[in-house]
Amino acid sequence: MTTATLAHPATHGAHEHSEPTGWKKYLWSLDHKIIGIQYLFTSLLFLFVGGGLALLLRWQLAYPSTQVMPNGDIGNPASLAFINPQFYNSLFTMHATVMVFLVVMPLLIGAFGNYLIPLKIGAGDMAFPLINELSYWVYVLSGGVLMCSFLVAGGAAAGGWTSYAPLSSVAAYNGTQMGQSLWCVGIFLNGLASIMGAFNYITTIVNMRAPGMSFFRMPLAVWSLFITAFLLLLAVPVLSAAAAMLFLDLNSGTNFFNPAHGGQPLLWQHLFWFFGHPEVYIMILPAMGMVSDILSIFSRKPIFGYKAMVFAMIAIGFLGFIVWGHHMFVSGMNLVLSAAFGVSTMVIAVPSAIKTFNWLGTLWGGSIRFTTAMLNALSFVLMFVVGGLSGIFMASTPVDIFVHHTYFIVAHIHYVLFGGSIFGIFAAIYTWYPKMFGRMMDETLGKVHFAFTFIFFNLCFFPMHNVGLGGMMRRIADPTAYEHLRSLQPINQFITLAAIGLGFSQIIFLWNFFRSLKYGAPAGNNPWQATTLEWMVASPPGHGNFAVTPTVYRGPYDYSVPGHKRDYIMQNEPDAPDAPLGAPRSTVSVG
Amino acid sequence: MRIPLSRLHLLAITLLGLAISGAQAEIRETSVWWLPRNVNMFGHTIDFLFYVILILTGVTFIGVFSVLVYFLVKYRARPGVAALHSHGNNTLEVVWTTIPVFIFLGLAIYGNEQWTQMRLKTPPADALPVAVIGEQFGWNVRYPGPDGKLAKMEASKVNKDNPFGIDSSDPAGLDDFTTYGELVFPVNRPIRLYLGSKDVIHAFYVPEFRLYQDMVPGRIYDFVWLKAEATGKFQLACNQLCGQGHYKMFGKLTVSTVPEYEAWAKSKAPSPAVTAVVPPSPVAMNQK
Repeated sequence: MTTATLAHPATHGAHEHSEPTGWKKYLWSLDHKIIGIQYLFTSLLFLFVGGGLALLLRWQLAYPSTQVMPNGDIGNPASLAFINPQFYNSLFTMHATVMVFLVVMPLLIGAFGNYLIPLKIGAGDMAFPLINELSYWVYVLSGGVLMCSFLVAGGAAAGGWTSYAPLSSVAAYNGTQMGQSLWCVGIFLNGLASIMGAFNYITTIVNMRAPGMSFFRMPLAVWSLFITAFLLLLAVPVLSAAAAMLFLDLNSGTNFFNPAHGGQPLLWQHLFWFFGHPEVYIMILPAMGMVSDILSIFSRKPIFGYKAMVFAMIAIGFLGFIVWGHHMFVSGMNLVLSAAFGVSTMVIAVPSAIKTFNWLGTLWGGSIRFTTAMLNALSFVLMFVVGGLSGIFMASTPVDIFVHHTYFIVAHIHYVLFGGSIFGIFAAIYTWYPKMFGRMMDETLGKVHFAFTFIFFNLCFFPMHNVGLGGMMRRIADPTAYEHLRSLQPINQFITLAAIGLGFSQIIFLWNFFRSLKYGAPAGNNPWQATTLEWMVASPPGHGNFAVTPTVYRGPYDYSVPGHKRDYIMQNEPDAPDAPLGAPRSTVSVG
Repeated sequence: MRIPLSRLHLLAITLLGLAISGAQAEIRETSVWWLPRNVNMFGHTIDFLFYVILILTGVTFIGVFSVLVYFLVKYRARPGVAALHSHGNNTLEVVWTTIPVFIFLGLAIYGNEQWTQMRLKTPPADALPVAVIGEQFGWNVRYPGPDGKLAKMEASKVNKDNPFGIDSSDPAGLDDFTTYGELVFPVNRPIRLYLGSKDVIHAFYVPEFRLYQDMVPGRIYDFVWLKAEATGKFQLACNQLCGQGHYKMFGKLTVSTVPEYEAWAKSKAPSPAVTAVVPPSPVAMNQK
């Protein structure tokens, strides 16, 4: 059952690469931990870029400056107040592109995937360290290309992050040939980085687990990243191919998506969503995995239904590939097919429900410690429930006819991606920061940051459900252009004020993050008294991670085992420490 | 100086246009936090299903939230009290897998039933056919004349100068009339829409009709139909990002009584030719 191989010397005793020092370390290091931290810093930078774009577009929605402009002047910068409609379209296009491709994916998969996988499975590094570093730099390049697109003639891509053809594929329709082309290049490069990361993770997890680390002794965080890597490997190449076709349509006279010359606009939508729906799970599964571990650590309890959790994630992985059509209920694709996608979409809600119940089961009977990390993890669960439940409205084909492309769906995706993924990322940062930097983040500041973020998040995104039901379309530069939306304007202004509050709350996080690098209390090896392998080594772990390859004797969640002095037994501990822990309430048979 | 009559005319029309467009659509004074009123026959089903899901999800959320808060209070860390060592319970797993499966399948089956009613059932024979072709950034509208028939539309013939893709020799189209961005539906009569686009994807969206339909270029959609059950003035909005002017690609939609509709239709001159609909001047387009 254990398949640790000797292909890679886990101890790095015989270094096949020497480790650069000082600042060079952050340019050329092949160490998975450094690469993870590089991903962390870069994607946090982009988080603030993406957030800034969001605040600009929120400002425009609350206080539109353009409603008196005659049609003919659209796009003429001289006649404009601050944000013109075309720039507004670029803002939301790039906000989503940045958040999806440069923030959430790299944070979850690039930063935490890189940092945690080798440490948690007892390996010295990734299977392909050089490809790992290359993946990071290609990601940086993709971010650079996307940022530069703001500067070219016509501005950045303005066709929405979904880039529906033929608006995106015909320069005369979009007016942003350069920007849209650079978008294609950026997405293609970003996909390359994802693919390189994905097969590296899969190889590492399959081949380099420490002795005794069977698949069913892997922590759920590793399981989630493992499954995510498969989704990346199968979904991302489709988007890359589609982006290449779009680039050719824009620049080389092909007509894949242009119906005027025999192309098929729905082909783009099928390709995009064949990637796009697994992508939704790519952006949530790793957060689910890490939050599962965090809930277990701070409840001092084994995760409830470990195998059910694993199988639920595998089910999500499979089903994620047969639901893409639910983004196209109203596109006019075959109507019977829509009905079939409606059923598969309802079915994929089941594993998410299973996960939620198991998280509650984990809390049941626990000894819950309300750390900042735990608060963020709990909020992940609650916000994910809201986002999951609001998704049912869209899954129901008739209701989708009404709520499709309204702010209801904007609320839904933000409850899943911010309420879910971003709270999960905060939970992960507060949990593993001590391991990464050897110092604790300040708990008081952390809780203040959490409270403000949680409150402003809900004030910002919950009312979007209401304006959506009220009939407000997404992606319109000026809601006051419509009589039937004008009365909703006070709500839009309220949302914008909450968004500004949400943005400024993150300054507390930044302050805490950077201040703690120098002034945080020393962390020690295992500040949270957790069980998995990364906590047995120094914080931060040295190059090569483990002086001696650890042997794994138990599953990842041996918390509060009756009859033991400590309420946690680490995975590498052969026999539990013997003295009794105190009087446990009772035990329940293992399912 | 004597002002020519035609210029007076123009002024009067402009002023009238301003006055009418000023009160173009219903402005909501109440319940801005909730759904607008529904005037479409199919809207009842959508609203019913919406409330069913709202109750289901609402109850689920309250349940999860209550359990979560209860656990957080009850199982907070306290000195001397250890956590339970439990790895799970298979019976519970089966229970909480099975129940959602049945709820979700039930929703999917009922939803599909209604979807079939709305989208797959042929519209009644007496439905008034209306063609709406989107373009950057407005709506070409074509109504049948006294013969009740629209000219035959072919997606492959749609181009810049022939928005509806018709053959000008088609006898059915000789009495058709066109408008730009102006729709009038007679109340209580089924309307069959023929939707299409000249350039990029647009979408036909009227929240009070609980209706959204993408209009992908290269095809004519003939399966959308509706029946307005009350009169009123509404705004047709494009709800698929279509470019720089997307945010103001709206049209006027009036549901009127049958005599009012007939009077309106009679006032329109037939436009049998293939020629493009002439959009009104930008000034008229921008009146609020």
